[in-house]
Amino acid sequence: MPEEKDMSGKSNVGESVDAGEENVTSSDSAVAVQVPSLSYESPFTVVDALPPGYSKRPAGEPERNVISFTIDGADVRAPEGIMLVDAAKYGGVEIPVFCYEPKLGAPVGACRMCLVEIEGIPKLQTACSTPVRDGMAVSTRSPRVIEAQNSVVEFILANHPLDCPVCDKGGECPLQDISYGWGRGKSRFAEPKRHFEKPVALSPSIAIDRERCILCYRCVRFSQEVSEDYQLVLLDRGADSHVGTFDGNEYVAPFSGNIIDLCPVGALTSRAYRFRARPWDIEQGGSVCSMCPGQCNVDYTVRDDKVMRVQARENAAVDDGWLCDRGRFAYQAWESDARITQPMIRQGEKLMPARWDHALEVAAAALKKSGPRTAALAGGGTTNEEGWLLRRLMLEALGSPHFDSRRGGKLDADVARTLTEPAVTLSVPDVEWADAIVVIGSELVDEMPILDLRVRKAVNRNGAALAVATARPSSLDDKASVTARMAPGRDDAFIQALLAALAGNDVGDLASRAGADAENISQIAGLLKNAKRPAVLWGERMLYASTGTASAKAICNLVAMLGLAATDGAGHLQIPVQANGRGLREVGVLPNLGPALSDSATQGMSSDEIADALGDELSAILLLGTDPILDSPDGARWDAALRAAPNVIAFSSWLDPATERHATVVFPAEVGPEKEGTLTHPDGRIQRLRQTVDHAGEVNSGWWVLDQLAARIGVDFGVKVVHQVTAQIAEGVSIYAGISSNEIGGTGVRWQERTAASNLPAPARSTFDLEIPPAAPQAAPGSSSLRFGTFRSLWSGADVENAATLAPLVTASRLELSPADGQRLGVATGDSVTLTNAAEGKTTAVVALRDAVPTGSAFLLDSQDDGLRRIAAGRPELVEVTP
Amino acid sequence: MDDLLFHNIDEPGLATIDTYEARGGYSELRRVLSDLTPDEVLTELQASAIRGRGGAGFPMGTKASFLPKGDMDKYLCCNADESEPGTFKDRELMQKNPHQLIEGMIISCFAAGINKAFIYIRGEYEQQADILDAAVNEAYIKGYLGENILGSGVNVSLVVHRGAGAYICGEETALLDSLEGKRGNPRLKPPFPANAGLFQGPTLINNVETLSNVSHIMRMGGAKYADLGTEKSTGTKLVSVSGCVQKPGNYEIELGVPSREIIYGLAGGPPAGRQIKAWFPGGSSAPVLTADELDLPYDFDSMAGAGSMLGSGAIIVIDDSISIVDVALRTAKFYKHESCGKCTPCREGTSWTVKMLQRVEDGLATPMDLDIIESVCDQIMGNCLCVLGDAMAMPVSSMVKKFRPEFEAHIESARAARMPLDEATLTDELDLKEMAAH
Repeated sequence: MPEEKDMSGKSNVGESVDAGEENVTSSDSAVAVQVPSLSYESPFTVVDALPPGYSKRPAGEPERNVISFTIDGADVRAPEGIMLVDAAKYGGVEIPVFCYEPKLGAPVGACRMCLVEIEGIPKLQTACSTPVRDGMAVSTRSPRVIEAQNSVVEFILANHPLDCPVCDKGGECPLQDISYGWGRGKSRFAEPKRHFEKPVALSPSIAIDRERCILCYRCVRFSQEVSEDYQLVLLDRGADSHVGTFDGNEYVAPFSGNIIDLCPVGALTSRAYRFRARPWDIEQGGSVCSMCPGQCNVDYTVRDDKVMRVQARENAAVDDGWLCDRGRFAYQAWESDARITQPMIRQGEKLMPARWDHALEVAAAALKKSGPRTAALAGGGTTNEEGWLLRRLMLEALGSPHFDSRRGGKLDADVARTLTEPAVTLSVPDVEWADAIVVIGSELVDEMPILDLRVRKAVNRNGAALAVATARPSSLDDKASVTARMAPGRDDAFIQALLAALAGNDVGDLASRAGADAENISQIAGLLKNAKRPAVLWGERMLYASTGTASAKAICNLVAMLGLAATDGAGHLQIPVQANGRGLREVGVLPNLGPALSDSATQGMSSDEIADALGDELSAILLLGTDPILDSPDGARWDAALRAAPNVIAFSSWLDPATERHATVVFPAEVGPEKEGTLTHPDGRIQRLRQTVDHAGEVNSGWWVLDQLAARIGVDFGVKVVHQVTAQIAEGVSIYAGISSNEIGGTGVRWQERTAASNLPAPARSTFDLEIPPAAPQAAPGSSSLRFGTFRSLWSGADVENAATLAPLVTASRLELSPADGQRLGVATGDSVTLTNAAEGKTTAVVALRDAVPTGSAFLLDSQDDGLRRIAAGRPELVEVTP
Repeated sequence: MDDLLFHNIDEPGLATIDTYEARGGYSELRRVLSDLTPDEVLTELQASAIRGRGGAGFPMGTKASFLPKGDMDKYLCCNADESEPGTFKDRELMQKNPHQLIEGMIISCFAAGINKAFIYIRGEYEQQADILDAAVNEAYIKGYLGENILGSGVNVSLVVHRGAGAYICGEETALLDSLEGKRGNPRLKPPFPANAGLFQGPTLINNVETLSNVSHIMRMGGAKYADLGTEKSTGTKLVSVSGCVQKPGNYEIELGVPSREIIYGLAGGPPAGRQIKAWFPGGSSAPVLTADELDLPYDFDSMAGAGSMLGSGAIIVIDDSISIVDVALRTAKFYKHESCGKCTPCREGTSWTVKMLQRVEDGLATPMDLDIIESVCDQIMGNCLCVLGDAMAMPVSSMVKKFRPEFEAHIESARAARMPLDEATLTDELDLKEMAAH
């Protein structure tokens, strides 16, 4: 939590609506000041303590008995079988560790720092790998143990350079802490130390200093066992051991930055953070990353009101303490020159800087004039509060129901309610403890990266069976017991085939319509049938395809057929396209449904309809943190639509195509650490964004701008600080009824676990009649046409392009083909090919041959390039690929 | 005593299956498979009380009985990574009589319900690996290996796997990691290999010599075998004698014979005019014994009682022409070089000890450094992940303790030899700047 400080000046006007936060702080300090008395009773012995963020134990997680043991003479109760290091904490005893990190899986016992004496066992034992048993008598401070602790510290420091004064880790270094706490305070080592070239670049993001390394294996285990990119290894042997990549290339992987957090010394440092600050220069501010639906909890490291670093803030119910590299390093973009930090107004062809009140006046006048002919789109990073005020602005000030937070067509009310039912919604911990997981139509590592790690954990640690059903090969294929491929965009047919298999019907015809193998589908059905707690993870992206409505209904039927509502711990999880997609739906940023998916008195246009109507029925559009040209599956259509719109009012941090080409008024938008508000995680967890730095330049809060626009049109929202908006949501969104910042706290709360969850309107029906899906597209034999799909990369977007260490990862153009098709067409990786879409013309793309791509399919990376985006416009099923 | 393992050992062609069979080979396997149940075999092995010949000396039959019952892949790994300095007995067994080992392995597999067997052989043993490959091939052709062996319904596959040159891979769990294709690092125990070993399956790991004994135990009967040797060290043992002796080589002895008889009787004692100063009774990782301890019976418990160990049965003799400082440094260097680096005390402790002993050797130490060496060794012992750290600390510490006057005298004379200490030498050797930095 950040220290209390004047957040922005603007948002702290008036009384403190943030009183709830103070309550949290004061109750925290009440715990902290408890001084153990002589008759020592541990304040830590809450035996059924759950990890932070957990409101209950996941259904699949086995319960543990509580046992008693003694540690340093004190009687302690702890869950049976946990490692002594953890059990000791129940008695308030700290056992020092370097290599032990339960997040990395089974202990390795390498550092030997945690040696303890256990009655009845002659040798000292590693507390990190010894499960606690009833009646154990453990000593962590006997002369033998102290001698061992002193020696291990002495051994570890023997080759450590002790260059703390110039080390980034100094001041927040476990090695320093343990040396002071458990070391002898002096060394007898008088020999020359081990030397390496230092520091060297392990990757564009990470520097490695192998002299400081204490060889605890954490980073290597992360690479080998958690992210499973298998790149980091220990090279050489004995005292010459050092960490490196197995092939000597740079360590580039989606989660590589976590090894910086894991390193207990200053061996692995962030190149972007090196020498920028010392621990006594900085403040840590807890918030939530809003770059993808994963919504990982983060700590922003702030110095001089600038974000210097982003670290994971462990919330076991959300992120397990991991962070992807985008979340960790994209902060560099926030300080880049590319960011928009002042309002702009279009004069002629050019966007010119403008004063705030002038920009607000111009925008308000345009909106007032356009009135009910105004449309609005909300982007992924939009908070619930901004979404709520956008809805109010549209309905109350402008009388327009044409606003949407989704792309594509409308969401059927019954489908929406069926899929939102608390009983069928998985929590993230449920995924970890599911016994069968099916991923349909989503590449998690790109669309919700942190969930990719959770699925791996479920498979590796809890033995979950995994099935992956996607058009494009997935990075999870290697972990899957069944892998099914389908034709791009044919998720509806695939799910129908799966339903048929579950019902014991013939699968063949539906499978061929899905372009999938019937045998694979039967295997997935078998896996789901045998599961006690099945988990279905599916990508919302499939709903944006032309078959989206059918897919949504098929998912509902799947939920019903699997009986997910009846079993605790079983359910489905929608992987939204937009970071706060779920929150925006639930506060009512939908054209056809009100807050909490209630019936709406008005029926507006969906995104798709808005695109068609702009310049015609609709004369103005508000773009709240979104560029539909880049964000929509058929962005090229939006380019034309926005051109036709007389007024485009954009809230944006970047000069993205929509802003640069079409915006008439631009309001500079906040980035992550400047924002205050709430988001809703895909599993329903309402989380809180905390402002940790002041707004850059002249940036103002999105909610404030919306309020100002409404005021100028003549509607008073009655909000002076963002928490008043939260309070309005707590009143107006029935399923969030009564929610407060205090209740959300630092780890969030799932609305499904509150009593207000019963306010969700029941669907009139939760299963649907399904039409026989059309046949999968077939290319004429021998032709150069291929089935066509698109995918997006984690490494895309303005925040990635403008972050120095991430920019090299951006790929401009990538068309994935199978080696067989490559050979047939005579192209190899790196070659350029011509792509032809009958309706939209030609462009060139760069080929990447990938073994796992099914023959006959081509997958194009969503790209900034207009030509490439045009090829994807109209969602063609086949494209022609020619050398 | 008649030789068991070395019976007919020098007969030409014994390594081929025809000769081996002609000398009665594989008849025990036939009898076991047709007449006995696995439990009966296990009972015989336990009755023999044979202790592991690889170094740790754990009773083999007991270890085999730890494997869980049930229908799953189970593994036998023959540890042929013979790398302990001074040890060369398995090499001769594999080179001259590979089928004795293979027969023992198949019987052991039958006893413990194992279907997959491996011989993990030291990479440098190229010739022996070739011989084993040929022998395994012959055994497959004759139907002693593979599916439904001799019509008994028993399946055993056997693969010879060559190591890549790391001493640590002789440590049983590092051997498993290496066999799985990983870097050969020891694993944390528990879980023990009997429960979760190779590919996480139940695994029995035995030394070449131990397994080579199995067919003899079955032939003689466990009880009869146990009559050999002493009560707690049964059977015969191959002893590799090397160092300052006139007739170095492998000798098969009955456990419990006086050590003097091996060193003087079999190996001919030190060259004329020399006196034995010290001897390693069980490979270079065993604490050294002195000439006063030559009359100890050569068995597991007597050696342990003298503060050392029988280990792999490799006796290295050091006479009075050898500097004990050289021996300590050479020994420490070996273990420093072979430390895998996984756990702190071994990685740092072996490297530190070498640096200190080098200074002792070079005359740049003081007697205080000897105290630090002993203390560092004490802190390695018992605190490591596996026994490699102890394997350096035990002999080095024993040499410093038992021969302290020689170390001190060496420090004094080596220092004197360096005199006068001109500045150039000092800067050169000590790297004063380096030391000042710390």
